[in-house]
Amino acid sequence: MSDNSNFDAIIIGGGHNGLVCANILARKNKRVLICEARKECGGMVNNEITNYVPPVTTAVSSSLGGMQVNYLPKTTIALSETGQHIRLVGNQHIDHKSISTFSSHDADRFNDFHEKMSKFSKTLGSFMMASPPRIMNNSFSDYFKLFKLGLNVRLLGKKNFNEFARMIGLNIADELEDNFENTLLQGLIAHDSVIGSNLGPRSPGSLINLLYRMAIHNNSLFGGIFQIEGGNDQFTKHLIEKCKSNNVEIKTSASVKNCIVEDDCAVGVELINGEKVYAKKIISNVDPRSTYFSLLGSQNLDTDVKRKIKHHRSKGRVAKLILDLNKLPSFNNCDDIDLDSRMVVAPSIDYIEETFNPSKFDKLSLEPTLEICVKKDSDQNPKLDIQVQYAPYKTDQGWENVKENYIESIIKIISKYAPNINECIEHKKLITPDDIELEYNVSGGHWHHGEIQIDQLFMMRPIPGASQYKTHLDGLFMCGAGTHPGGGLTGISGKNAAKAVLDDF
Amino acid sequence: MTQDLRYSALKKTPFHSRTSMASRTNKYYNWNGYTVPTEYSTTELEYTAARNGTSVMDLTPMGKYEITGDHAHRFVDYLVTRDLSEMKDNTVAYIIWCNEDGKVIDDGTIFKFSSTKFMLCCAVKIYNWLNDSAYGFDVSISDVTDTIAALAIQGPTSCSTLKKFGATDLEKLKPFEMREYKIDGFNILISRTGFTGDLGYELWTDPKNAETTWDNIEIAGKELKLRPFGMHALEMTRIEAGFIQTNTDFMAAEDSLRPTRMRSPYEIGMGWLVHLNKNSYFVGKKALKKEKEENTTERCLVGLDIDGDKPAHGSVIYNSKKEDIGIVTAALWSPIMKKNIALASLKRPYGIKIKENIFAEIYHPEELEYRKIWARCKVVKRQFFNPERRNKVPADLYE
Repeated sequence: MSDNSNFDAIIIGGGHNGLVCANILARKNKRVLICEARKECGGMVNNEITNYVPPVTTAVSSSLGGMQVNYLPKTTIALSETGQHIRLVGNQHIDHKSISTFSSHDADRFNDFHEKMSKFSKTLGSFMMASPPRIMNNSFSDYFKLFKLGLNVRLLGKKNFNEFARMIGLNIADELEDNFENTLLQGLIAHDSVIGSNLGPRSPGSLINLLYRMAIHNNSLFGGIFQIEGGNDQFTKHLIEKCKSNNVEIKTSASVKNCIVEDDCAVGVELINGEKVYAKKIISNVDPRSTYFSLLGSQNLDTDVKRKIKHHRSKGRVAKLILDLNKLPSFNNCDDIDLDSRMVVAPSIDYIEETFNPSKFDKLSLEPTLEICVKKDSDQNPKLDIQVQYAPYKTDQGWENVKENYIESIIKIISKYAPNINECIEHKKLITPDDIELEYNVSGGHWHHGEIQIDQLFMMRPIPGASQYKTHLDGLFMCGAGTHPGGGLTGISGKNAAKAVLDDF
Repeated sequence: MTQDLRYSALKKTPFHSRTSMASRTNKYYNWNGYTVPTEYSTTELEYTAARNGTSVMDLTPMGKYEITGDHAHRFVDYLVTRDLSEMKDNTVAYIIWCNEDGKVIDDGTIFKFSSTKFMLCCAVKIYNWLNDSAYGFDVSISDVTDTIAALAIQGPTSCSTLKKFGATDLEKLKPFEMREYKIDGFNILISRTGFTGDLGYELWTDPKNAETTWDNIEIAGKELKLRPFGMHALEMTRIEAGFIQTNTDFMAAEDSLRPTRMRSPYEIGMGWLVHLNKNSYFVGKKALKKEKEENTTERCLVGLDIDGDKPAHGSVIYNSKKEDIGIVTAALWSPIMKKNIALASLKRPYGIKIKENIFAEIYHPEELEYRKIWARCKVVKRQFFNPERRNKVPADLYE
């Protein structure tokens, strides 16, 4: 190891996980440097990409010495063309009443469904907060962790255990159709199961996606969704302030070219401008594919590792449409308070599935599934932030040629619910997955740095053999969303990685 | 009428018209999807030709891969455990390659034409492994097994045979060197390499030229005790030479189901091919370095000199307390050494520190009954047969 280690740790990428990790290390008296390629830290947690956030866990906030940001709950509205919207807030009684107006059968079913799902997400969630076992280690504590998950599932009781086993590989559509008769409700829950993923509601495994989402959002379907007072970027701004008070050094516009490897050990980083910085530990907050193929370099990897990383699925399918407005459009049958909610356009399971189908062939659906939030820009002008589900990573005609058409088709959909939308629009901006890839340096432009699916979860996240925040190169760690437990803006990856790094000092 | 080949399971090599004519026994086996003779007449005769004259073997089924591109040299150096950074043009090197756990996948030879063009030869198919390994390198890999006809010309009179065939100045070629010839209007690459542990060469040419080459070599070697030889005779010569064979002396890491059966280079006597101080990373380096540092090598592959004259095929090896310490992977009564020899995989320290007082339990078949022989063994150098003529430059010539 090099003697001229100026820093104890260098973190590559100043996204929220990197900031969490940096703060925890700094609080343990480590000298930390963050190298951020963009002009500012924060990554994808900003007012442009992030529509809402999960609550920060006590484990993360206590290891940061408390988080002083205000979380405001966000309700959910499933928009209906007829104006018969469903409004859900995450409260058992209110939601029951709300659904009853459409179907008393569904309202009762909803409570049972929610209770069951909540139980399962808690079971998974307990496993998600800690660092995952590493099956290749052969260590007792790792096997014990795995055993404990099995035990937790078994302790749900025989009936629940069987139900859990039935559901774990199931598609969400089957489960919803078995439970509910209202297609709008089915569509809403199906939407939340597949958002951010490469699955349709009828794809096997789409149900575990929902459990995963619930585990992050207070084990609730609609209750754990928040926006941060003053804008979602307050979350990262607060973390950056903490970095300053903890004496974390931050270099922005400092794109890292590669890791410096000496004696088969990571000892520093080389920036694009040629500058070299050395440290005892290097921590990558970059997605796994870039970490391995760009930072580490494929000439430093074993063949099997390359195979695993090549298998790693990380193509995003969510685009973002931002409409700057001169005034708020009036949504049918919605009041001002409703405009503070997230509004979902997913009228039925079949609607979502049909949106999904063309994306499998790199084609666009001109009737996409939408999630709309109203926000204000810095000048207090209103804007619509729209998550567009199933925008393929690349289109067969090339994004440049179809972007305009795509934007118009999205606006056409919105006009069904807000007829005067066209007169309100000042400016339109579509951010496609490949734009996200370029702008935020995330391979594939995937929100979670990699699909949240059973083969890429827990000790298989990101790849077997690299699951405890360590990479295959000594001295190089990972702390990004590509690691367990994954994306979702929890900061848990950053916190767990910090622990792994501290254990290695 | 053309033959309907839709349902023929095994391919014929470009030499098939000649090898099948030479075969008196019609004994064939499947090597990489090709049908090739195990034996032409009798194995003993073929062996004798290899040790006293010239033996000719159809090598075409051997896996042959061309590696080209700007990063070809860097890639080859990354692929194998040996330090090839200084490898010169027109030379050949013996190599092994490992997986990420530092377990051997296969051995073979690498031919360097220039820093942007190599050819890799090995017994089994490894196209997928090469391709997956090449990710991130500017190289392209093509399987040239079908497009290059190959012959092994081995034995003490092999140089003379090839000179008569038209390879001028061949005797000056050093071991592990190669040279391009133009004979009968075709390019023929001749390398001084082989698998018999004797003086010998390998020929690489266009399949169109295969039959003419075979015929002309047969004419050239007429007075030099030339004879085609099959797999059985090759097996005898390679054991005498102490060469290892994948899936016989060790299990290929990509093929073995049981992780405990995989072997590191140190466990099969190939430690000399592992250069941990190589400047760049190579596949398996991390694991091999760890094995070396922590001294966790469990086994070794050694030569055994066994009492008596009954070959110890598949024998279990015991220490003096009759504890099982290993197994014989290949054995024969060596006609040229007049010795009962074997290659054996032993549990360390046997074979390394303890070389005496070990025994082979030989079951010798005698007309539907086994005679059990308890034979004393001595650990010896694996290279049982290593004649001076093998590496002599200029090579011996005969009239």
